[in-house]
Amino acid sequence: MKTNKMIVSWSWREIWFGQLWPVMVALTLIIACVVALSTLALRVEKVMSNQGRALLAADLVFRSSNPIPTTLIEQAEQAGLTVSSQSRFQTMAFSDANMQLVTVKSVESNYPLRGELDLRSTTGQPIREVKPGELWVSERLLSLLDANTGDTIAIGDAELKINGVIKYEPELAYNPFNSIPNLFIHGSDLDKTGAVQVGSRVRYRLFINGDLQTLANLQANYELQAGESWVDQNKESRAARLMDKAKQYLSLTILMVILMAAVTLILTCLHYARNRSETVSMLKSMGASRAWLRLWLSTQVLIMFVVAFVAGSSLGLLLEYLLRIPLVDILPKELPSVGVQPFLFAIGVALCIGLPALLIPLTRLLDAPAINVIQKRETQYSKTSWWLLLLPITALITFYGTNKLVWMVLIGLLVLFVLLAGLSYGLLKLLAKLKWSAAFSLALSRINRSPRNSMMQLSALAGSLMLVALIWLIKSDLLGDWQQTLAPDAPNVFAINISPEQQEGYLKQVDTLELPRSDAFAIIRGRITAINDQNTIESEAYQNEEIRILKREINFTWAKELPVYNEVVAGEWTGEKTVSIEQEVASELGITLGDQLTFEVNSQIFSATVNSIRAVEWQSLKPNFVFIFSEDVVADLPATWMVSFRAETDQTPLVNQIAREYPTVTLLDLRTMANKIQGLLKQITFSLTGLAGLGVLAGILLIFTLLRLSLSERKREITLYRTLGASKKRISNTLWAEYGLLAISAGLVAAIAAEIILFSLMTWGFELPTQLHPTMWLVLPLLAVLVVFVSLISVIKELLKPLR
Amino acid sequence: MSQSIISVENITKSVISNDNELSILKGISFNINAGESVAIMGTSGAGKSTLMSLLAGLDQPTSGKISILGETISTMDDEQRAKMRSESIGFVFQNFLLIPSLNALQNVTLPMVLRGNEDENSNNEKAKALLKEVGLAGRETHLPTQLSGGEQQRVALARAFVTRPKILFADEPTGNLDQKTAQHVIELLFAMNKEQGTTLVLVTHDPNLAKRCQRTLIINDGQCQESA
Repeated sequence: MKTNKMIVSWSWREIWFGQLWPVMVALTLIIACVVALSTLALRVEKVMSNQGRALLAADLVFRSSNPIPTTLIEQAEQAGLTVSSQSRFQTMAFSDANMQLVTVKSVESNYPLRGELDLRSTTGQPIREVKPGELWVSERLLSLLDANTGDTIAIGDAELKINGVIKYEPELAYNPFNSIPNLFIHGSDLDKTGAVQVGSRVRYRLFINGDLQTLANLQANYELQAGESWVDQNKESRAARLMDKAKQYLSLTILMVILMAAVTLILTCLHYARNRSETVSMLKSMGASRAWLRLWLSTQVLIMFVVAFVAGSSLGLLLEYLLRIPLVDILPKELPSVGVQPFLFAIGVALCIGLPALLIPLTRLLDAPAINVIQKRETQYSKTSWWLLLLPITALITFYGTNKLVWMVLIGLLVLFVLLAGLSYGLLKLLAKLKWSAAFSLALSRINRSPRNSMMQLSALAGSLMLVALIWLIKSDLLGDWQQTLAPDAPNVFAINISPEQQEGYLKQVDTLELPRSDAFAIIRGRITAINDQNTIESEAYQNEEIRILKREINFTWAKELPVYNEVVAGEWTGEKTVSIEQEVASELGITLGDQLTFEVNSQIFSATVNSIRAVEWQSLKPNFVFIFSEDVVADLPATWMVSFRAETDQTPLVNQIAREYPTVTLLDLRTMANKIQGLLKQITFSLTGLAGLGVLAGILLIFTLLRLSLSERKREITLYRTLGASKKRISNTLWAEYGLLAISAGLVAAIAAEIILFSLMTWGFELPTQLHPTMWLVLPLLAVLVVFVSLISVIKELLKPLR
Repeated sequence: MSQSIISVENITKSVISNDNELSILKGISFNINAGESVAIMGTSGAGKSTLMSLLAGLDQPTSGKISILGETISTMDDEQRAKMRSESIGFVFQNFLLIPSLNALQNVTLPMVLRGNEDENSNNEKAKALLKEVGLAGRETHLPTQLSGGEQQRVALARAFVTRPKILFADEPTGNLDQKTAQHVIELLFAMNKEQGTTLVLVTHDPNLAKRCQRTLIINDGQCQESA
């Protein structure tokens, strides 16, 4: 046992003296990154799905245009699920002063099952449920009706006293056109309104909560009738698209950081094995058995793994905490627990990379022959441990088998590397032919003398620089795209239901108040009824549940010119009796240029030919339409008008002024929501920037380690020069020239490679527009030279010591 | 009458170099008796080191038989030879070969640990006594980098003798030392050798060093001659 104690303490020193500590640092880094990023990713994912449910007000919603079948409610209750039903309809509300079309939601006291309901009476205390006899209205309705809390208003036949306003409700509709002010009453008061009669248009919802399996069973056992549908949070996934890209970026960054740490690991291990072969030979000559050597080496490996795991996990948790700080407003106070999954994952990754990286060179070390202590011999190393390479390869295929981005990066890396390293090597060879100062020609001849070594260094340096550049640039490109989606000057107030007579005056008023506005658009509600004489009801697309556009009324508009923010992807905006169509709908319905489409508005039938197809950014909050007609097609149809404008927080009085002057125009104030989205973006930006910074740091650490290793391997040679009388200046100049040249060419190679990979990633992976990054072409070589500078400074004194 | 501790019967050693077979030792036979000191001399590349590595069981002869302490090591496998070395053989190398991450004391106790002697206190005591004998008392905790060449070689001597080996192989033990330091190390080597009754096999270029041994074997063109 004492032997073991000695081996442990020796191993510990061997790790520090024998330069194995970068291995430990790299392992720690891998574990820290995996723990931090996967914990964060898991948490964000859980939060997102919780928020998705909050938006639905339940885990699962059953929607129907008929009253909810009692059998379904019974089934759900028998299965132990929590249910809450809602009916909603539109009706007129009357105050003493005014009247207004409203959406009435009659709910049970347990509404909502998910998410938050915030009702405020005059006391200002938040109230979370609607009780029988109560009436809660949206703030906008109060002003439209010119009423106050405590007033009585009539809804259908019922007279109800307003208890207060709705501060926040789940099920927020994100459709500016269909939004009519809401009010809540309790389900038991529904009959009093007299609104629900034969033929009245009421929509019913059943909110259901419970565990996933029971919910799935319920869904599976119920046969949907016409007019019925299920909604769960997966379907409402438009907001999730942004998060998807963030998650893709996250996993890509994890991969790149791991890749860099793995390279550090492999290089330091190889270096260690080279340096220790003499020691192993000596131990063997003194009679150390292979078993003893194995024990000695595996103790070192074990110590490194244990320390790396403990340090890495703690660092990872700290990191996750730090990354979470900017997200504090988005994440709920009570964070969903993530369990041990990230830790297991981190250990798995560390083992998959660490075992082959450590054990392959260390097993070779075992083969160092004892005779080497007296006579250096070429050694035949056994290749038995190469099977360990299957570990990372299998893991990669299992986890990333279908991830396009990951394979793109990996294969791109490999191919580019071979190509570019060859290219820059050729360049260096060419440079050597020219006339240079002494230091430069010495450096160049040195680089060209050991091509394999130089190539290795060049590719490792260029590779890590490229990964660093990728991590940073993908982040910037992604964020740039998101910021554009929600530009700081995006419109945030929509005015709809402007009558044709009001239109001119209204626009003039908005301009007088100096609120930046969009063009005004006519809104005509109608349906598409036929594509090239085929009735849409008979079309295949009509049967597809996902495609709703054929089954409902949508907003048409006409224009002289297409909005500048819509990119025409096919065709041209010309001709008479024509229509321009949004590209996703076009592809869903199989519509191409030149197709003849038939529409119906108020029983009036008309046709138009497709002249162009547009790309539309729906998230941009700008007025957007699926169909835009040429003026001659629809201009004569009865229409209302809409316009959007931008109002800052301090311009609320102006918005109110317009609202008072045009009481019949409906104002949709999206400022709170837009601010929220912008805030969210800002926070995600911050987190991703932190993450990218971390990746860059890991990369620089790798480059630094690389250079130091490479320099320390030169020690013997430099000492020899020094002993032979070379001046310090000559040696350091040569080193500077050599490593400087390497750094600059690696920087350029990295820039080319990064640009190519970035282009592919953005085009085929993230599906975002691409651009060139000229600053990178300058920054990468500079960064490389800087790291070379620091590494050289840190070792040059040691290198220049003459032989004792 | 003294008995043979190393017996070499007609050994040859060839290596393949650039696809050519190169014969280094061409049939060598001799005996070394227990307690003898033997110098192996010869020009560079004559095969001195090759011979020594065969005698010490670091390598296998191409043909012929080598016995140490009555056991035929030329037929043993790697592990058996390692065991034999740890039990009966000590080494002193030209370039000292101390473990840089261990201090002087730990370097000296290392062979005991490899042998399986687990009593740390007794190991340390033996090592301290030997370090004192080579004049390094008080330097136990110094790392090799903190010691001069001569001091490092003295630590190596202590390390070689700590297991009281039957045979000690020394490969140019003074090759990396200046004359004065070399003299000191040689004195110590022979003193300890005499004290422990170890059989000493020494490879050297130095005729003065060879003279201090009882016998000198000269290797020339793959053959071995006993010097008069």
